Amino acid sequence: MAKTDKNMLDDHELEAFFNAARNDTATPSDALMAAILDDAATEQAGRDASPSSLKDKSLVQGKDRRQRRGFWADLRASMGGWPALAGMATATIAGVWIGFVSPAQLEAMSGGLVLSGDYSTSAQTYVLEDFAPSYLGTDVFMEDEG
Amino acid sequence: MALDAYADASDDALLVLYGNGDPVAAELLTRRLAPRILGFAARLLGGDRAEAEDVTQEAMLRLWKIAPDWRTGEAKVSTWLFRVVSNLCTDRLRKRRTVDIDAIEEPEDDTPAAVDRMIQADRAAALQAALSSLPERQRIAVTLRHIEGETNPDIAQIMDISVEAVESLTARGKRALAQALAGQREELGYGKD
Repeated sequence: MAKTDKNMLDDHELEAFFNAARNDTATPSDALMAAILDDAATEQAGRDASPSSLKDKSLVQGKDRRQRRGFWADLRASMGGWPALAGMATATIAGVWIGFVSPAQLEAMSGGLVLSGDYSTSAQTYVLEDFAPSYLGTDVFMEDEG
Repeated sequence: MALDAYADASDDALLVLYGNGDPVAAELLTRRLAPRILGFAARLLGGDRAEAEDVTQEAMLRLWKIAPDWRTGEAKVSTWLFRVVSNLCTDRLRKRRTVDIDAIEEPEDDTPAAVDRMIQADRAAALQAALSSLPERQRIAVTLRHIEGETNPDIAQIMDISVEAVESLTARGKRALAQALAGQREELGYGKD
């Protein structure tokens, strides 16, 4: 192939330069090799002396985590963790809501007793038969028949 | 001898052995890797041998430090090292900013006795000078691809760029080198080919 450009080497010519560079290998000096191996030994020795050299790191970290756990974390765990706390929080909020809003359905179901009822007069609102009609109100029916 | 026993072990395996406290693995790893990264560092640093040795020692120290946390199979040790060396050299080049091409040794005059060897040495030196004139990232990509023989995907990992970006950098770098070296065609032996 003819050289197409006098101002540029072709791939073959350039490859000869790369080839020369590949053969021009660097040999580390003895001092450099010694320094690198010295670093390696120092690093290795340092690790052996420290607790982090334990092979099973997860065990060490797990232990640390338990030791760091505080009072609230302990309390939470004793109640069954976050899922249990979520249930308790829902029940608490429901109670507060009922207290403030006083839903009418609840009033109707309780006959005015639970929320806005007058507790001092509840005995007059309900007679005993309301709670146990089958035992105390039978005379009414008997009278009707008779 | 223990060194022979490990001769077939991969770099990965040797690094794990070192991390587990093996006393021999470090020596074998150093013998394998130090010459490569020294050569690479010297090329990036414009042939400054003393600075390249500093970078090599620093890169190997980082390797020793990361050994206990090394995850086998995720990256090649050499790829990881080339990346560290690239970053260290880039930092140093930024500090001195301008590469003094005059500081690079001029090829010596050839003597008839060893013309071939001289031509090889001259070509290597001329390439080094031309490499030094390239923008940093082109220099890194071209050196890794055409001198160190790394693959494009590995270079992409080393330089933290896409494979397409590697291809673009090496193509532009090669073109610039071909132009820079064209003027020396005759004096570097092509007149005789």
